[in-house]
Amino acid sequence: MASRVLAQCVRSYTQRSARIIFGNITTRAAAVSVANQRHFCFNAGSQRKALTAQIKVSSPLVQLCRQYGDLPPLTVDTIRERVLYVLKLYDKINPEKLTGASHFMKDLGLDSLDQVEIIMAMEDEFGFEIPDAEAEKLMTPQEIVQYIANKKDVYE
Amino acid sequence: MKPGVYSALALALALACHYRRSVVPEIFEKSLRAFLIGYPKRCPPVSHSSIARAEGESVGESLEKMASGFLTHQQKVLRLYKKALRHLESWCIFRDKYRFYACMLRARFDENKDEKDMVKATMMLKSGEEEFWANQHPQPYIFPDSPGGTSYERYECFKVPDWCLDYWHPTEKAMYPDYFAKREQWKKLRDQSWDREVKQLQVETPVDGLKTEALPPARKEGDLPPLWWQYVTRPRERPM
Repeated sequence: MASRVLAQCVRSYTQRSARIIFGNITTRAAAVSVANQRHFCFNAGSQRKALTAQIKVSSPLVQLCRQYGDLPPLTVDTIRERVLYVLKLYDKINPEKLTGASHFMKDLGLDSLDQVEIIMAMEDEFGFEIPDAEAEKLMTPQEIVQYIANKKDVYE
Repeated sequence: MKPGVYSALALALALACHYRRSVVPEIFEKSLRAFLIGYPKRCPPVSHSSIARAEGESVGESLEKMASGFLTHQQKVLRLYKKALRHLESWCIFRDKYRFYACMLRARFDENKDEKDMVKATMMLKSGEEEFWANQHPQPYIFPDSPGGTSYERYECFKVPDWCLDYWHPTEKAMYPDYFAKREQWKKLRDQSWDREVKQLQVETPVDGLKTEALPPARKEGDLPPLWWQYVTRPRERPM
């Protein structure tokens, strides 16, 4: 998967940089730390999970730290970016007309079935289910962002 | 076990399956009247969005429109569409194949969407539900956090209510002075608004019992929505 390729690139980078800058001991530490990261780098392998376990390349000090697999932390900006990205990928929406406050039915001329498909795409993107009662009320991208931020306890 | 017992068990199982298959359509026949009226559905408990919004009226009011608990025809159709798509996704694991069959399904929904005769539309919905029941996936993909999923309520035991913060030792509280100072102000606000919230709830509760668990929004200017404290101080989704 992409994350393993990335891990290999990072490992070769850290090994190279560690070898250049420090001596043998740090190289071994770098190898061990990245091996640890690779061992604990838990990728679900499904198309729904994003890349896991950010691999910290902190020079000059290479830390021996254990990293657990988890999704990257959400912020309101990243949520908004992802929501707008998914909406732009939808072929019934004109990307130029899409703004944060554009109503699906009134501004973008979509159907209620389209709105269901959009909510399903959001569920797939963020990995959790949006119940029907609350999904039928989400009519603008801003509402979707707000709902996801509410559910996932994302502040600011 | 003896071979005779195995065959008897197999026969019993086959008979049970046969009877089960013939029972299911009967259930649908008998519940046609209930189906036509609109099967009642319990509204979900406190919707977070009803209190979190700055202009809380819109969602609270729309929740109250659903206070009867009955679904409209459109809502039923949309729910059928969504669960049909999800089960289709479970059947067609390759994305391009799923996309093709999803478009076919959408075309089937679209060709009948302008039906004006409600009786015919309800009969179509009923046949759609039966078709869904017949073609559902035995182990559909359920999101981890939704009911039936792997991590549903997994972290419930770690969600501590906020009143435990009051039992912290002063030395512990001194580690977060800003937070606890702000908390005292919030508690004063809670004490002030509590009586008004209770009064509003007592006024708005119907005499013969509640129809829904959804809380009403704040009605008066400058008033806080009822039971806002338990929403604002709710524990995190993933407690540390």
